[in-house]
Amino acid sequence: MLSEGKLRSLNEFVDKLSREELIWINGYLSGKLNTNNLADTHPASGVTPKKFTILYGTDTGNSKKLAVEFAGVSKRDGAKVKVASMDTYKAEDLVHETSLCIIISTHGDGDPPPAAKKFFDTLMSIDLPLTKLEFSVLALGDSSYPYFCKAGEDIAHRLTALGAKASLSIQKCDVDYQNDATHWFLNYLKSMTVPSANQLSTGPLKKIISGKKYYKGIVKANINLNGRGSNKQTHHIEITTDELIDYEAGDALGVLPKNKKTVLETIFNTVHIDSNLRIPYKGLSFTLDSLFTNKLNICHLKESQVQKYAELSGHSIPKVRMDLLDLVRIYPIKPLAFVDFTAYLNELAPRLYSVCSSPSVREKEIHILVSKNNFRVDEEIRYGLCSDMLSDYASGTAIEFYIHKNKSFHLPSEDTDIIMIGPGTGIAPMRAFIEERDTSGASGKNWLIFGEQHFTSDFFYQSEIQQYVTTGILNRVDLAWSRDTEKKVYVQQKMLEQGKDIYEWIRNGANIYVSGSRTPMSEDVEKALVEIIYTYSGKSAPESEEYWNELKEAGIYRADVY
Amino acid sequence: MSTNLSVVEKIKNKSDGLRGTIIQSLEDQLTGAIREDDQSLIKHHGMYQQDDRDQREERSIKKLEWLYSFMIRLRLPGGFLTPTQWINMHHIAGEHSTGVIKITTRQTVQLHGILKSHLKPTLKAFAIQRLDSIAACGDVNRNVICAAHPRQSKIHEEVFNYADKISTMALPKTNAYYEIWLDREPLINKEEEKDPLYQDRYLPRKFKIAIAIPPNNDVDVLTNDIGLIAVIENDQLKGFNIAIGGGLGTTHGNTQTYPRLGTVIGFTDTEEKTLKAVYEIIAVQRDFGNRSDRKNARLKYTIDRMGIFNFKKEVEKRCGFQLGTERPFSFNERTDYFGWHQNHEGKWYFTLFIENGRIADEKVAIKTALYEIALTGKANFRFTANQKLIIADIDPGDKHEIEQILNQFHLIEHTENASPMRRNSIACVAMNTCPLALAEGQRYLPLLISKIEPLLAKYSLLNDPISIRMTGCPNGCGRPYTAEIGLIGTSYGHYNLHLGGDRLGLRLNSKKYDGINEDQVLEILDKLFDQYSKRLNKDVTFGDFIHSHPTALS
Repeated sequence: MLSEGKLRSLNEFVDKLSREELIWINGYLSGKLNTNNLADTHPASGVTPKKFTILYGTDTGNSKKLAVEFAGVSKRDGAKVKVASMDTYKAEDLVHETSLCIIISTHGDGDPPPAAKKFFDTLMSIDLPLTKLEFSVLALGDSSYPYFCKAGEDIAHRLTALGAKASLSIQKCDVDYQNDATHWFLNYLKSMTVPSANQLSTGPLKKIISGKKYYKGIVKANINLNGRGSNKQTHHIEITTDELIDYEAGDALGVLPKNKKTVLETIFNTVHIDSNLRIPYKGLSFTLDSLFTNKLNICHLKESQVQKYAELSGHSIPKVRMDLLDLVRIYPIKPLAFVDFTAYLNELAPRLYSVCSSPSVREKEIHILVSKNNFRVDEEIRYGLCSDMLSDYASGTAIEFYIHKNKSFHLPSEDTDIIMIGPGTGIAPMRAFIEERDTSGASGKNWLIFGEQHFTSDFFYQSEIQQYVTTGILNRVDLAWSRDTEKKVYVQQKMLEQGKDIYEWIRNGANIYVSGSRTPMSEDVEKALVEIIYTYSGKSAPESEEYWNELKEAGIYRADVY
Repeated sequence: MSTNLSVVEKIKNKSDGLRGTIIQSLEDQLTGAIREDDQSLIKHHGMYQQDDRDQREERSIKKLEWLYSFMIRLRLPGGFLTPTQWINMHHIAGEHSTGVIKITTRQTVQLHGILKSHLKPTLKAFAIQRLDSIAACGDVNRNVICAAHPRQSKIHEEVFNYADKISTMALPKTNAYYEIWLDREPLINKEEEKDPLYQDRYLPRKFKIAIAIPPNNDVDVLTNDIGLIAVIENDQLKGFNIAIGGGLGTTHGNTQTYPRLGTVIGFTDTEEKTLKAVYEIIAVQRDFGNRSDRKNARLKYTIDRMGIFNFKKEVEKRCGFQLGTERPFSFNERTDYFGWHQNHEGKWYFTLFIENGRIADEKVAIKTALYEIALTGKANFRFTANQKLIIADIDPGDKHEIEQILNQFHLIEHTENASPMRRNSIACVAMNTCPLALAEGQRYLPLLISKIEPLLAKYSLLNDPISIRMTGCPNGCGRPYTAEIGLIGTSYGHYNLHLGGDRLGLRLNSKKYDGINEDQVLEILDKLFDQYSKRLNKDVTFGDFIHSHPTALS
């Protein structure tokens, strides 16, 4: 069947191989035949990249190690791959997957690892339509136990029962798993169906044109990222919607706060006024309850408002800012005067939070990072209301939000290097950037500089960042901890330490992104950058200053600070 | 022997004298852990990587890695600290670890919860006190333990010195510890660290040595790879009986593993011969031990595979002399002497009850009290092999001052009021830091004893020092296989119940119940105590009673 030339080359090649290599090639070729697209022999450059998810369940770390290793191999191969752990992955999300590579170990009496148990149990108990899913299972185990690799088998059976198709038969590995696992994965990678252009068309976002469009979302998860012993409380909030959300990495999410029921009840009771009383406000009629819950700001009233209150209530009040709750408690007011006072209150302003997810990774989902203690409103730091509200949102809570476009804070061209300086919640947009670059396969290098108080409790997105370093998306990470050593270390010190390399990156055209507090962080960061230029460029101090200003004007420095 | 080396063997081989990539691991700022291969190597430097298992699930959700930290165990042959060393230990524990100082069953102390960035500062602080953790864990000779009680004999000091000599003889020669942890200059001439004993492969598995002074077997001498039993005549040390092949660790479900008590193979009458014999026993294990399966690598398996006769022959061949005939010996107790005692020179010492060896300020302020005692500079600190502490070497004139401190912190009543069962109990660390634990150890045994004591009271057995020991896994750190009641964790809240061991450490117990819970344990003990209390010969101990009345269990 083969031409003489091909046959000769084949024989020459085969002669050089060991028995093991031959066995591997045997598997490789059968995998190749299984894909049914022999015509398409060279899925090289220009072809739609393979896209799949590696989902692992681990106890001792072997499955995770393999998952990360495989992801690295796949990325080098040009595939778009997402790595997820069963301890955080929700079984319900399987319906969004098209291609899935599962790595799972088996324990005790054929059980999955404890960390994967919830995923496993849910998968076994709910009906999911998985007819579009293609999967393969790599099962790790110890053949000296009777239920060798049972957890892997159970998952494979279940997925098949739910309509999913196995693209390769299950590979069971014993304690010396490495070789079998690697061979299997290379087979998997080769045997994967390359998605046709047709299938992919559902992928990219359909852009929705809108001014200030409100989306109706549901809180899917609300996680305080700070570990035990932290002084902080920082909530990673995941919101899902039914429709596509039009946003880019770098944008912010706007949300209207609501006043707390308990606070309002106290105010109404103190004033002796019925919360169902209807009153006019800007030409419309509201009950007091709904007006105060959704419309009026009652916190940190301005001096002029406090003085108006003094006038209406007939008290003399010092010129200070106060909350309405304290005013009605300390300076009693008659119900009618209270109603009059509503006209002088400001409307609640929306709060903006940097989005920390990329739309390329999750289509109908958006994430924000909320520090329970401070947030920004029109460049002004305020405390409490909205972050309190969001932090308390349990999963399942409905939430309305809009997207605040942040055009000056989007990613540069794919081949531009970026240095991301995002201490504290400033890491939020950086996570979005990294996710975006991870999925787009951008060739530019990425350097993250993060800081917080404590390494053990305040390292936001630590496990994700570790994975990005392993798979090579993050080329560098530098960390500054301000409370771990006697000497407080902040991001700007870390930058100065790495000044030589930062200057090198800048000279090579890197863009610099800064997010977090304006004062003093972003000011210190700028000072550090000028100092770095001065130290490493050979320019004089004024020249360095001028060079920095030129760079800023050229748009290589982008700040989103508050 | 075997060509199929285990992973750990390969790591040791290519480690460049236990250096591996530890320095790079310490520099990695992204993680509180160290690289996988280095985790095997740092054991030889006396530390284990652990993590807070209570927080694993919660931290995964928080996108934080597990909360990694390290346990550092000191090398302390014979278990002795000066007051100055104690004061510094107190501060080091407070500054770098959880603060709890844990006395181990190998007569030393360990600190837990030390973050990666604190490892070097901790070891440097110890080094200033001339303390190190070299070879406290790992596939080398571990801390040499020795009969703890000064009142034991006039020759106590002489025997104690053997522990130090053996420890020094069996130290790895590599300079790695000094370079990595203490920032010393690397050796220019690597020949200086050539290691004729460990070569570049170290031992196939951990190696433990103990020295006992009869008639007290407080060190549980036969549970060690090498047990030296002092032979004394007319207050003179005549030499040592040498027992080999003791070891307790097993693996659940692996029938190839088992606990074993040491076998006496002979006697040596001079220091030179004793040290030589110990050295060559280690060397034979190095050359003949199983290096492909770590679960079958301890000396006990090597001996049973070769046969005790062949093993002895190989040792004698290398020694160049024959071992003498075993001298008669007997043990009549295995205990710590709690409370005040005096040694032959008239110096006082007080043995303090410390439950499971955890020195902290909890129900009683043990840690503060010991600190105050150390500040007087008038007492040394000695550890027993049963997780207890001896405040030692007190001049008669200073006794009152020490006693006042003990009284001020209620430590005398704390020791006196503990039931004999509680005082002699042992539990390993287990949850939440030991990576091997399947069930609770030290966090749970005190509570369980509180439920057993009423049962003892019910049958008027409260003054019976029945030995009870608990471990969270089958590896045997708390020596549960030589207890009258041994509880070995199988899964959370479940234990194998071992019964029938003697009270002296001369007979192993055996597994009578598989993976039972607390209610079942209490129900079984209730029944057995009932029958035991009705025995005719009151000299028969609980373990002996069960052993000779197997029907009691049915």
